[in-house]
Amino acid sequence: MAIVAQHSKFSKIAMPVLAWVVALIFFFPIFYMLLTSFKTDADAVKPEFLFSFTPTLENYTNMTDNYDYWRFASNSVITSVSATIFALVVGVPCAYAMAFDPSRGTKDILMWMLSTKMLPAAAVLYPMIFLTKSIGLFDTHFLVIMVLSLINLPIVIWMLFTYFKDIPKDIIEAGKMDGLNTWGEIKEILIPLAWGGIASTALLTFIFCWNEAYWTVRLTTIDAATLSKLIEGNRAPEGLFFGRLSAVSTAAVGPIVVLGWFCQKQLVQGLTFGAVK
Amino acid sequence: MSNRTIPRLLQTPAVLLLLFWMLVPLGMTLFFSFIRYFLNNTRRPEWTSPSIDNWRGFGNYQYVWNQDAFWLAIQNSLLIVCSILFLTVALGIAIAVLINRSFPGRGIVRVLLISPFFVMPAVNAVLWINMLLDPVLGLQGIAVANINDVILGLRDAPLVGGFFSLWPKFEPISFRATQTSAYAVIMMVTWQWTPFAVLIFMTSLQSEDQQQKEAAVLDGAGAWSQFRFLTLPHLGRPIAIVVMIQAIFHLSLYAEIEIVSRGNGNKNLPYYIGELVNNNIGAASATGIFAVILANIVAIFLLRMVGKTLME
Amino acid sequence: MGRIVLENVSKSFGDTQVIPPLSLTIEDGEFAVFVGPSGCGKSTLLRLIAGLEEVSGGSIVIDGTEVADVPPAKRGLAMVFQSYALYPHMTVRKNIAFPLRMAKMTQSDIDARVNQAASVLNLNDYLERKPGQLSGGQRQRVAIGRAIVREPSAFLFDEPLSNLDAALRVGMRMEILELHNKLETTMIYVTHDQVEAMTMANKIVVLRAGVIEQVGSPLELYRSPRNKFVASFIGSPKMNIFEGDEAKKHNAHSIGIRPEHIDVVKSNGEWQGTVGVAEHLGSDTFFHIHNTGLSEILTVRAIGDVNLRNGDTIHLNPRADDFHRFDEKGLRIT
Repeated sequence: MAIVAQHSKFSKIAMPVLAWVVALIFFFPIFYMLLTSFKTDADAVKPEFLFSFTPTLENYTNMTDNYDYWRFASNSVITSVSATIFALVVGVPCAYAMAFDPSRGTKDILMWMLSTKMLPAAAVLYPMIFLTKSIGLFDTHFLVIMVLSLINLPIVIWMLFTYFKDIPKDIIEAGKMDGLNTWGEIKEILIPLAWGGIASTALLTFIFCWNEAYWTVRLTTIDAATLSKLIEGNRAPEGLFFGRLSAVSTAAVGPIVVLGWFCQKQLVQGLTFGAVK
Repeated sequence: MSNRTIPRLLQTPAVLLLLFWMLVPLGMTLFFSFIRYFLNNTRRPEWTSPSIDNWRGFGNYQYVWNQDAFWLAIQNSLLIVCSILFLTVALGIAIAVLINRSFPGRGIVRVLLISPFFVMPAVNAVLWINMLLDPVLGLQGIAVANINDVILGLRDAPLVGGFFSLWPKFEPISFRATQTSAYAVIMMVTWQWTPFAVLIFMTSLQSEDQQQKEAAVLDGAGAWSQFRFLTLPHLGRPIAIVVMIQAIFHLSLYAEIEIVSRGNGNKNLPYYIGELVNNNIGAASATGIFAVILANIVAIFLLRMVGKTLME
Repeated sequence: MGRIVLENVSKSFGDTQVIPPLSLTIEDGEFAVFVGPSGCGKSTLLRLIAGLEEVSGGSIVIDGTEVADVPPAKRGLAMVFQSYALYPHMTVRKNIAFPLRMAKMTQSDIDARVNQAASVLNLNDYLERKPGQLSGGQRQRVAIGRAIVREPSAFLFDEPLSNLDAALRVGMRMEILELHNKLETTMIYVTHDQVEAMTMANKIVVLRAGVIEQVGSPLELYRSPRNKFVASFIGSPKMNIFEGDEAKKHNAHSIGIRPEHIDVVKSNGEWQGTVGVAEHLGSDTFFHIHNTGLSEILTVRAIGDVNLRNGDTIHLNPRADDFHRFDEKGLRIT
């Protein structure tokens, strides 16, 4: 170790400084949005007011009047939470069976599930509009929940599968010997043991649902429209409402960015399907 | 009850749901791609309902194939995807190496770096195209205006004034225009996805064999040789995975394109389909099938790689 | 009670048959050890008895009841796993109590049984700890405790000592034997270690490729192995087996003789060779001998310290009564 630890002065001082500079550059747009959200719409576009301005909360207090923020936000919460729960309810038993009772087809099923994730959404856009309109599901919470949970289901199953696989099979079998049925195994052993993995899967799924911006935009109009739709609808104010737009954007991404900080590790596993450790 | 029944039963809901989700809409797309089907057509009203009678064979495919807009869309798709891939991988490796060793505040640096990834795409696009890149009111406009002011001021300065009077006035770039909207998209998506690449490369670097590096040092390898012959090969697999996962995500970019240019700028394949869906469903479906084929070319490689590690 | 009868039991995974039809009876109170090289099907056989795998054919009868359709927990068996398989999220007390809770016993009965098991196994001080805070040997005891409280008609052990270090292993071996003496319950014990088999069993079942090669008491197997496989598997160091002229002299296709049945003599031995490696243990000396003309290496065990070193010539006399003779198929000729 001592040999490797001999670094030049450059790497000892310059690299951390450089790392900080890069990190600040990357964070700057978010910081700028946050900053702008505390400016009035007029201040927001005045060049000399980059840092010297009187902060105001009016953009946040007026969010409901300006954008009907809470309706979209509650739609986002309802659909994302429900979709996450539904995906877990379907995904946990499936991943459990695959991890502890694998058959020769298990690998193929997993691969196939993953392949559904790779289908370009645009290819099935019209059939989805056509189908949902003809059975009256267009622009409903139910539709958004189903679509969000289905597009995330492969990732949910994959993540859970990789977590479950780390639980020794012996423990499940000991449970069997001790008199547990399948539901008991899941409830008494699997869920308590894989609690961390299930929670981070849920967190990540929730983030993906919240940020989804294709189906939520194309399959809703008003009733089930989420924050993505709200922002997309106010996409180009031509500088008129930078202050209030920044505020509503900050409100839309703030909680998620903070949540995201807590599941960085799981993100790697979830997005690479366990292929990078 | 047989041993195998319960596991099958537990998998059934997930499999059926995904099967339905995949087969039904895709089957419809496939069917629509072979018929004449328009939402509005006053001349031929019989074409406004999906019916086997309007069979067109490969006509829609031929039609799309001969559209310049289709090829432009493919070209834009590839330009956007390839540029993003190159930038995110290059930046990702550089930053991952930069923050691989511990230094004061590394945890905070990580948090700052990863944040862009969690910003919802719609907000990302609105933020960049308005607050940052707007030629007049965005940060770009403000910055260019300030630089011009400074130069203007310097022209009156003694000694150097003559030099600065030779400088042109800088013009801000409008990223909403046809030829530049793709660059705005590339910029914002690179900003969003570089953190993802960093995160994966960093995870991978942590698992690098330190003894191997020590052996290399004893063998006389310098920092660059260590990177070139040990670290880079070690990152080979993560790089491949980052490339393929991003390719799949970015081939279907939509919100960013929509928000940046509102259809006036560079359209990619999903956006082109989105426009066709407004009337010509047959052509939209045929284009959709082309998109599926394009995505599958990438997907096959990714699946193969993931499959190898699956049962380890 | 705990009489287990297997009749034509077979097991296939897909197209591969890992256990061809096999019959075996384990009497009540017996300590039976399944032993064989890895992949011989001994663990699979145990899991079939436990009910963790479904039989592909034949029947398993425990105390007169056919158990093919009986779920594992209802077979009256308890199993101790190689990895102990303790529930890491439960305390030792809850781990041991778990099967009783599943059997819907009253809390006072559960407490009584858990406390009794804990004192038998010296676990009283650890009851409120989680498995992660225990040493390997303590975890092993908890796993046994979880088995004992069920008062099963038979215990199944799946290589329970292989995760312990050598010293602990000898100690646990004794503890399990004492437990068997105390409870007098049937025990089936799977191991790949023939020393464990020899020291613990009163019935050894030697398996190879899913087939029972021989069943018998340890000394039966040692004295009259039914074939070459059993002969070389049981006993340490391994029996010397060779073909050729020496075998023909004994009217056999091949003959075997154990290292401890060859005497080292000063001169004029029946055989002679060159000492390769000599292992001097003090109590015994093991010689690996080359150039005997019998087999590549001949292993000999001499009592005490015999002062012969690498390269020395060694003279040997095999004990004529202790030859094992085998025919072309490798079966014992009696």
